[in-house]
Amino acid sequence: MPKRTDIHSVLIIGAGPIIIGQACEFDYSGTQACKALREEGYRVILVNSNPATIMTDPEFADRTYIEPITPECVEKIIVRESEHIKAQGGEGKLALLPTLGGQTALNTAMALVKRGTLDNYGVEMIGANAEAIQKGEDRQVFKDLMIQIGLDVPISGTAHTLEEARGIAERIGRFPLIIRPAFTLGGTGGGIAYNREEYEDIARRGLELSPVTEVLIEESLLGWKEFEMEVMRDRADNCVIICSIENFDPMGVHTGDSITVAPIQTLTDKEYQIMRDASFAVIRAVGVETGGSNIQFAVNPDDGRMVIIEMNPRVSRSSALASKATGFPIAKIAAKLAVGYLLDEIRNDITRETPASFEPTIDYVVTKIPRFAFEKFPQADPTLNTQMKSVGEAMAIGRTFKESLQKALRSLEIGRSGLGGDGKPWRIGEKLYGDRDILPASLIRQKLSVPNAERIFFIRHALRSGFTVEDLFNLTKIDRWFLTQIKEIVDFEEALASTAN
Amino acid sequence: MNADLLAKAKSLGFSDRQIAHLTGRSEDEVRAFRKKIGLVPSYRLVDTCAAEFEAYTPYYYSTYDRGDDEAQPSTRKKVMILGGGPNRIGQGIEFDYCCVHAAFALKEDDFETLMVNSNPETVSTDYDTSDKLFFEPLTLEDVLHIYEREQCWGAIAQFGGQTPLNLALGLQKNGVNIIGTSPQSIEIAEDRKLFAAMLTKLNIPQPPNGIATNETEALAVAQTLGYPILVRPSFVLGGRAMQIVYSDAELQHYMRFAVEASPERPVLVDKFLEEATEVDVDCIADVGHFTGPNEGTVVVGAMLEHIEFAGVHSGDAAMVLPPHTLSDKVIDTIRQYTHAMARELKVIGLMNVQYAVKGDTVYVLEVNPRASRTVPFVSKAIGVPLAKIAAKVMAGKTLEQLGFTAEIWPQHWAVKESVFPFNRFHGQDILLSPEMRSTGEVMGLDADLGIAYSKSQMAAGGPLPLKGRVFLSVSDAHKDEVVEVANLFANLGFDLVATSGTANVIQAAGLKVQTIAKIAEGRPNAIDLLKNREIQLVINTPAGQTPRADEVKIRTTAVYTGTPIMTTISGARAAAHGIEALRKNGYTVKTLQEYH
Repeated sequence: MPKRTDIHSVLIIGAGPIIIGQACEFDYSGTQACKALREEGYRVILVNSNPATIMTDPEFADRTYIEPITPECVEKIIVRESEHIKAQGGEGKLALLPTLGGQTALNTAMALVKRGTLDNYGVEMIGANAEAIQKGEDRQVFKDLMIQIGLDVPISGTAHTLEEARGIAERIGRFPLIIRPAFTLGGTGGGIAYNREEYEDIARRGLELSPVTEVLIEESLLGWKEFEMEVMRDRADNCVIICSIENFDPMGVHTGDSITVAPIQTLTDKEYQIMRDASFAVIRAVGVETGGSNIQFAVNPDDGRMVIIEMNPRVSRSSALASKATGFPIAKIAAKLAVGYLLDEIRNDITRETPASFEPTIDYVVTKIPRFAFEKFPQADPTLNTQMKSVGEAMAIGRTFKESLQKALRSLEIGRSGLGGDGKPWRIGEKLYGDRDILPASLIRQKLSVPNAERIFFIRHALRSGFTVEDLFNLTKIDRWFLTQIKEIVDFEEALASTAN
Repeated sequence: MNADLLAKAKSLGFSDRQIAHLTGRSEDEVRAFRKKIGLVPSYRLVDTCAAEFEAYTPYYYSTYDRGDDEAQPSTRKKVMILGGGPNRIGQGIEFDYCCVHAAFALKEDDFETLMVNSNPETVSTDYDTSDKLFFEPLTLEDVLHIYEREQCWGAIAQFGGQTPLNLALGLQKNGVNIIGTSPQSIEIAEDRKLFAAMLTKLNIPQPPNGIATNETEALAVAQTLGYPILVRPSFVLGGRAMQIVYSDAELQHYMRFAVEASPERPVLVDKFLEEATEVDVDCIADVGHFTGPNEGTVVVGAMLEHIEFAGVHSGDAAMVLPPHTLSDKVIDTIRQYTHAMARELKVIGLMNVQYAVKGDTVYVLEVNPRASRTVPFVSKAIGVPLAKIAAKVMAGKTLEQLGFTAEIWPQHWAVKESVFPFNRFHGQDILLSPEMRSTGEVMGLDADLGIAYSKSQMAAGGPLPLKGRVFLSVSDAHKDEVVEVANLFANLGFDLVATSGTANVIQAAGLKVQTIAKIAEGRPNAIDLLKNREIQLVINTPAGQTPRADEVKIRTTAVYTGTPIMTTISGARAAAHGIEALRKNGYTVKTLQEYH
């Protein structure tokens, strides 16, 4: 299918200011989209309030609005541009591409649908339709859909009273349980309950804090293994996996705050194929017609049960990582798919021979490590949980996990030159330890059992002070394969140190 | 040293520094030995196909698995651009923007460009931004390998923020040609003594200051300067551990717990200028290409006037371009000082200066002969890509050749507002301070200053209310000014609510105000009203160095309920003018292409 000729201009919504959870990856994706669409001869209109982006450089779009990304303001732009196209005698319609500017762009586009702006001005949403966005974004609708297509999801229920909450706990049948109040900012008032008493407390508080007196209760997947798949689909229903990503940190830590590794390291091929098939089923069921999606899975390490956590029907933070990890330009291809091309019609820039319908294959290991800024917020709790707190990330590539992990650690700009042994002392609270000091076991145990920014380094401290891989697994639930790899680094550190005179 | 052991260490990802410390050698010794035995990394392609097909886009990573090297250095003249590494507060997307522009500019001038960076979120690590991309850590070891392997002509370290700047001297020592302003000039700007000597020579005032390498020295310096003082460690970006200190006790605590001072890394101590207006200047110069003292060109890109008074980190402050309250005389002085310093430092490329203006006196706070955080903002406000021009100047061109020799004073207003992550860090006070905590920024553009400000607030996610209730609670120091602000809001038809102290002052001035209870006085109090969404705007200024628990609670509740909050009187004033402009005419939108 050739590209669409009924489109005159494409309006791209950017992501706005850099905030935690929505960083410059959306400048990267938006810039790629602008370039790709102009290459195809479309007139590109861009709105983004963030002046520090490359995409808002005047050369990247025909019309660049550095204006607030609010539904009201974007409506003004649509009105103005519709008139402009008409006045110029332009043929074809105005299309809106909302999938490259993160949650901000998606929410703004949905608000414009609800206001009737798109209908009133004959604007077509491309890349994803409103129905698919709704299905992907509404937790309950998404869960029901997954069950319909035979996939497993975490057991959950919604309660409006304490009675209902008790009933749901009964039905799920085991602790811990996750409680999330509906419609509170940043999940305020939610929590994890490990016993009945705690459960009642948190549920009561959650119901009180929720403006609609509603809490979502979910079985806890703490300690499960977490995986992500980056999928792309075109109008002819071709699907490809661009990249598979494994979270080093088990469930309970936001993926943006987890160390992640590509490709997946600890699944068998069979398990991987099951996950691949499930990914295609999800993107089809949700109905993302063209473009990229990110799908998150959790796997119980004890019995292998696999559940779907969520999907993002848009280019996401993981897409940027997947693009850099594989060399496959997801945002650029997504933009081309949105205007009608098929995956097999788009050439891969890197090989110039293979089409974009070839799944990338990689012969190296990529490690991403988040960068935190807790030193700037001393009054805040530095524990990692389901709300993202990191402000950036470093990625490194090596031929083995060990090589890429150490390269990534020395990329972090925290003064460390690897996992340890670089001579830099460790400041823990107000205490200072030497680089090769053996730290107190109680401190190690505490730093391992609760996810935090330094946990990776405490795995080294623990191994050096005699903890076994099994001890570490019990404390962290990090896969034994990763722990064994780290042990090899630590053992070698000792071997090196023993050669010192 | 055992060659096999070393090879194994490298294949496990150990850096030279780790190996050096573990084996009791210096990093230089390890590197020298490695080179002697030919142990260097090989570069491999990221090619999407596991080497199944030939790859045409040169996107590389290094490895020590001793396999084939796929890098094919060309014979072209090469410039390496050092990126900024992972984003963190104080070092964000602005620096990546500058690096990307350097790549674009030097490609245009027919150099081969090599990008080195480790941040996957960026445009700089897109494989078609530069001619060659090296996805590598930004350390001396990793960067030197690439530079030597590719036989580069030069490297740009002044665009990627503090990360590459910290590497500059080490790289230079190892034979790297750092192009643009010399690392020696950068050192003059960063070294207290050299910098003071330069200012004395140029007859430019700076706030009285000193340095301290330990607690005793710090107390002695404080005694000479008198409190309040501003303290900070040297060689950091983003105001890490930067603080205004009001007493000996606070200073002692700071020296003991907040910094690690040493003779190599002293703590900088400045007299803090209260209630001064800060101004940021970005300029570009090519004077280092010439020998004569008056040859070459210096152009001020823009002056940005801070809305908040001195004491708020420039990365967190709201700013207005061009300045809106400064006199012509002050603007002239700023221009003159900027030119003088650029010439003295023989700048080739960008330079950022921070000034504090008190009355008619202009003080220099800081000079940084490198790309600053405000470069992209300025470039868009004046319609000239400063980073791009600067890169071309650094690689040899003059500003005259590039046709940029005159200042541009825009006919519209550009307001920069910062965006903070406080909603992620519950319990953290949100007061602005010399320590930068914002993650991002937005720009409001308009022909009217009030509208430009309103747009910046909308874009930052805290749109100004057009009507409703304003809650005021200010410290004693601001009791005089609060009347003026209260009056502005009353005239706009807002209802005023205040706690007793502030209410008394407002009432005495003849304005109608509803008094509500302080938190300790009972209920309903400000927190209740905020939670019930009965307050549309909060004006709350801090009481002093140790905030009352009350205040913190009000401010954090405002954040959590999404209520716009102004923590400075000048911010509140700007908000009132913005609301007035918005109510009068609403706002319109306009493209960047139409502005320039």
